[in-house]
Amino acid sequence: MSITRNGKKEKIGAMLLLSMMAMLILLPFAPINVSAQEEEAAAEGAEEATGPEMAKDVFYWDANGDPWEGPVSGPPAPELVYPDNYGTYGNFQSRTLLWISNQQHLYFGSFVLAVPMFVWVMELVGVVLYRKDPKLGKKFDDLAHEMMKISLTAYSVTAILGGVLIFTFLALYPGFFGYLSSIFKPVMHIYALLFILESGVLYVFYYGWDAMNDGCGDWKYGHMAIGTMLNAIGIVLMVMANTWVAFMQSPSGVDAQGRFLGDIWKVIHTPLMVPIVIHRILGNAAFGGGVVAAYASFRFLSAKTPEEKAHYDWMSYIAMFMGVLALIPLPFAGYWLMREIYAYRQQMGITLMGGLLAWVFIMQATMIATLFITVNYYLMQAMGRMPGYERYAPAFKWILAILVISTISWLTPHTLVMTPAELKAMGGAQHPVVGNYGVMSAKNTAINTMITTTVLTFILYQRSNINIKVPWAWKGNLFLIFLFVGAEINILFLGIYGYYIPANVRIGLSVPQVASTLTCLFVGVPVNTKMLKGATQIAPIRWGKMSVRGAYALFLLAVAFTWTMAVMGYLRSSVRLHWHVNEILRDNSPWAFTNPLGYAGNINSLNVMLFWTMLLFVFWLSALSAKKAPASVEEGAGVGKAVPAGSH
Amino acid sequence: MKINHRFSIIFPIIAVILAIPMAVWAGGGGGGQFYSAGYYALVIETGLVIGAIFLGWLIKEKMGIHIPKLIQFPFLWAMCYVALRVILQPPIPFSLLAMYMGVCTIAILLYCSLTVDSWKDFSHPIAVMLREDHAKAKLSRYATFLIVPGLIAAQTYNQMLPSFGEPIELRTVHPAPPASINVHKKLVTLQTAENPFRIGDDGEYLKVGDESKYFGQNAWVDDAPKFLQQVKEGGIVFFGTAGCFFCHGDNLDGKGPFSFAFNPIPANFADPGTISQLQETFVFWRVAKGGPDLSREAFPWASAMPPWEKHLVTNEIWKVIIFEYWHTGFFPRTWE
Repeated sequence: MSITRNGKKEKIGAMLLLSMMAMLILLPFAPINVSAQEEEAAAEGAEEATGPEMAKDVFYWDANGDPWEGPVSGPPAPELVYPDNYGTYGNFQSRTLLWISNQQHLYFGSFVLAVPMFVWVMELVGVVLYRKDPKLGKKFDDLAHEMMKISLTAYSVTAILGGVLIFTFLALYPGFFGYLSSIFKPVMHIYALLFILESGVLYVFYYGWDAMNDGCGDWKYGHMAIGTMLNAIGIVLMVMANTWVAFMQSPSGVDAQGRFLGDIWKVIHTPLMVPIVIHRILGNAAFGGGVVAAYASFRFLSAKTPEEKAHYDWMSYIAMFMGVLALIPLPFAGYWLMREIYAYRQQMGITLMGGLLAWVFIMQATMIATLFITVNYYLMQAMGRMPGYERYAPAFKWILAILVISTISWLTPHTLVMTPAELKAMGGAQHPVVGNYGVMSAKNTAINTMITTTVLTFILYQRSNINIKVPWAWKGNLFLIFLFVGAEINILFLGIYGYYIPANVRIGLSVPQVASTLTCLFVGVPVNTKMLKGATQIAPIRWGKMSVRGAYALFLLAVAFTWTMAVMGYLRSSVRLHWHVNEILRDNSPWAFTNPLGYAGNINSLNVMLFWTMLLFVFWLSALSAKKAPASVEEGAGVGKAVPAGSH
Repeated sequence: MKINHRFSIIFPIIAVILAIPMAVWAGGGGGGQFYSAGYYALVIETGLVIGAIFLGWLIKEKMGIHIPKLIQFPFLWAMCYVALRVILQPPIPFSLLAMYMGVCTIAILLYCSLTVDSWKDFSHPIAVMLREDHAKAKLSRYATFLIVPGLIAAQTYNQMLPSFGEPIELRTVHPAPPASINVHKKLVTLQTAENPFRIGDDGEYLKVGDESKYFGQNAWVDDAPKFLQQVKEGGIVFFGTAGCFFCHGDNLDGKGPFSFAFNPIPANFADPGTISQLQETFVFWRVAKGGPDLSREAFPWASAMPPWEKHLVTNEIWKVIIFEYWHTGFFPRTWE
């Protein structure tokens, strides 16, 4: 190592570096004040001349319940005309071209923002473990470093795709892009500056990894501080990109003509902005975990030596685990978002859930069911490499059965596709039995059951190769049985009770249902982990011995994440119907119609394939750049110890 | 007790033989009352599943007979098919059946590959069939390569056969309503409008959910509470003035005397998937404007519902809505 430990010079250098970073972070906020002052001055000047024209906000209200009024500070939304305000490339559908470039940028953007989150957590785990077991700590540190390497290659692809996206906007939708830029003018350059900052911090973080690696010393904490900054900037960037989308779906801060009313915060903080952001952060994290798990599976399948196999088997497990941690709260965040959409515009909610786009939710449901079943299947396959799992194997088929029954309920559409003859035979648009599964009560019950079951599988996984030794083992087991059975009874009871009460009360029932699920997760798993204290291993985990089916399951998991993102992106975009900006800027291009599901499905699949092709290239590059020193067999055995959930 | 392996096939056959009369009973058991038929089917299905599990346990644990996963696969698949296609009544549309069977097929494949042993159990005979050179393997190889393409050919043939049925329609049952509508020269904003006849004993607006105390009470007595008086007047509209029952039925279940002449058939309010999912204002929009004013996304606008604003006054429309919710025991959707 080139840096001496506890060297004064180095410490001062690090402090300087950190303060410079901190200043750089604050720098982008400086122009806000300048522009605000300028605006103020301009407004004052205007006031002296004619007095500012005041206009009513389309969303915000003042304390009296009247629409909030602000000074008109921008031009009205233009009435776009085809072909003057729209561009084309030959006979291609402009919208589809934009769709593809947007989706690709989003995929890579999500990935490079999600990976640093994992890396940060992994690095922290590494540092914490380093004190007790330097070997294990280093293993996690190496894992974090390797994850970062994949992200670094993807980062440049993201930037290139961002450029492609901007050019596509300018070439094909100049009118629309011009209007949005005029609204977001006060913050557009902050975005650009933050991007530069993100790059700088990212490179320091990655290339400084080895130089600043002193196990768990000051340098390491300094490095983690840089990681914290990297994540903070990443999240701010993501939020800022999101504000455009949130504004398009639920504009605020402008009047009915689309004129900017001088308060940029009101433009950013639209009615749907916060739930969209939360949903996206969780979604990114789950997606990032899935992609890293797929990378590890790719390396696992192509590994030549047992050591390499062991390392990537372990890595895929960790990445999958992190992804699933983010996946579990995701349905609840989605539920909240949907509730806010209904509160914002009832029509928008109905178009999504009961009307035109309802079938997209069936596609999404299929994907989510796939995700949960895949996770369970992977864990069961992974147990195959843990001697002693045979004790729990008989439970697998019942777990699968519960998942399948939940899936069937979860997938049943409210609006059925049928011929008129089938409709008559059924006696109505709804089936008397399965029609009951088409409504929210059944869906909530199904998804909560699926999540609870996944937690149960994880608990079995944790104790798969362990002989529990704590004296209160039987009490613990009894408690777990009561916990899970009780939770499931509660979930089922509330699900059925939901049919007998008004919708507004029914929505409230989802809270105790979720509470049951989360109790299983946050009480069940710790109790189980506690029971593993002092336990003896039947045999260490045989890392690298997982079945290939497990590795392919992780691929499926990652592809399912990707496809879900594509289909939900289509949904979020389509719900604006013929509006660029909902009720403000009308889409007057020939592509203002809502794409049929079949077409959307094809484009989504194309997007998914394109992304994975590029990603395989990135994987290959990462594998090519530097052959990682694989984990030795001793290290592999070291991780087989009974350690807390999520860290083995 | 050990019994000959050849006899093990008898048990599934018995199960299927038992299932057929039960399925027939379930199908006709309701005698037009689909609800009861549906629930019988559900009970029978649950019973069958438990029976099948018990049978499996009996064969495996008590008789010590091992049924390879490759044999279990088609048996389980057929069981799912019989349950969904025959026992579940009234019949579900093909699209739904295909979805369910897709899930079942994947689930059974997952079941067969859950553990290392079960995967071996499942894949070993296939590997033998493909690789080995003895007579049995050869025979099963030839049979497989005849039967599988044959099945695919039959399926293709069936799909290519011209069919004379009406084409499938993806109808949007609950299209998004407009933001506001004009009824009798008055603007009704659907997001915020309230039913003026939703009144409690004190004459004030009755919150949604509070009307449950009036469920099951007689609305036709003279000293009925105010809310029930509105229900009664709504009932008069339903059965008298407008005659909604001709299509929507005496029990509001969409089975009125005219209903079978319509395609698609009238809405079934007794179903938890119709009015209980909607705001009162949505129902108001549908009653007032009928089929002719369905929004664009409700293509192909297949609805024979008349625009009742041409025959009823606004108050009658609101009252009949009160009646419909009261009669079915559902609550309208609200967002607060």
